[in-house]
Amino acid sequence: MYTQVFGNYLLNTGMVTTDQLLSAISTQSSAHVNLGTLAIHKGYMTASEAERIFILQTHQDKRFGELAVEQGYLTPEQVTELLQSQVPGYVLLGQVLIEQGVISATQMQNIVTDYCSEFEIDDLEEYEEQSDLVHHLLSDIDSEDEDIREYINEYLLLLFNNLIRFIGDDFTPLNVIKIPEVPTERCTSQSLNCSSFHIESALDMEPAVAVAFASRYAKDEFEEFDEYVRASMEDFLNLHNGLFVVNMSNDFSMEVTLEPPVTQDDSLFSLGESTYIFPIMFPFGIVHFICSVHSKE
Amino acid sequence: MVMDDKKVLISDDSVLARKQLKDILKHFGCSNFLEASNGQEAVNIYKEHNPDLVFLDIVMPVMDGVSATKEIIAYDASADIVIVSSVGTQAQLKNAIIEGARDFVQKPIQSSQIQEIINVRFGGH
Repeated sequence: MYTQVFGNYLLNTGMVTTDQLLSAISTQSSAHVNLGTLAIHKGYMTASEAERIFILQTHQDKRFGELAVEQGYLTPEQVTELLQSQVPGYVLLGQVLIEQGVISATQMQNIVTDYCSEFEIDDLEEYEEQSDLVHHLLSDIDSEDEDIREYINEYLLLLFNNLIRFIGDDFTPLNVIKIPEVPTERCTSQSLNCSSFHIESALDMEPAVAVAFASRYAKDEFEEFDEYVRASMEDFLNLHNGLFVVNMSNDFSMEVTLEPPVTQDDSLFSLGESTYIFPIMFPFGIVHFICSVHSKE
Repeated sequence: MVMDDKKVLISDDSVLARKQLKDILKHFGCSNFLEASNGQEAVNIYKEHNPDLVFLDIVMPVMDGVSATKEIIAYDASADIVIVSSVGTQAQLKNAIIEGARDFVQKPIQSSQIQEIINVRFGGH
């Protein structure tokens, strides 16, 4: 998940524009991480040392690892270890931004250091940190009720995981917008109820974005906004909310009921003060997740 | 295995779910489909066409999958009903089995689940 949150961080710090990030995310899926990026990530080389090897490579027909060993930056054992290591997504995203000339390797190294420092992260690969990162992303949500905040946190962490699982990991959540009324285009909504809160959830997107979203979800090739695309949006929202219902029952012993999803076009979605839009940027466009939570107590 | 002569009834209120299940079944040689968008339609179609295999979603408008199972089994005790279950419907799934459903698959449906159901009933493809 931190790859997605990292994209949001890059936008917020002004290091990249939305278009630059979108371009990098689109390229990311077909890119392969290079040894220099890995060596910096592992702390075996500094960005300037890696840049020196990249320059040497333009003069000599040798591999990065070979030159790095020759120059004394890496041992042969470290090269073997790097070649066998797993690559976190945010490292690849950073490399693509470097290759596209948006940032330098040194800037990337500094960004990662600042990012880890701001989020108090020792090791970005630790799964446990995901929840905290999402919590930070959602810090704009104001609910006086601590329990409600926890449920929202669980709900949205699950949403991001479901997006990764069913749509793809090439997205960046943009900043949360608080708004009482939302003009929508192709909108699917669903209500969740329990004794202590009511959640109104909705997915809204432009028709062309909906076609791409549905094609990924259904693993099909839809060409226009039709009944299958609409059903895919309903199905995803219903599946996500259904999993949340199961989690609430298992983890909090709380019984939540689910209303059938409802779809409407070009309408004004009005839910009151505690309504938030979570714009989620994919290469194919922006998906708006709308969420409103009201405590019943 | 000749699947062409097997009639399969798919009942789900989601047109996408019906299409996906149909696409998987076509891959295993099925071509004779009947479709219903709610439990009552499924019961009516069953009585008219006597399909060889029935897939019933649990949560449907008008009549749910559990009630439809009960009505179909009351009409034909040998009906072969497979329940298609979404997350959060485990309690209803149990009821459907009690009412006479023979099998279940969990959404999102995997091709391998359907292959097993077809193989058990109609032999290898």
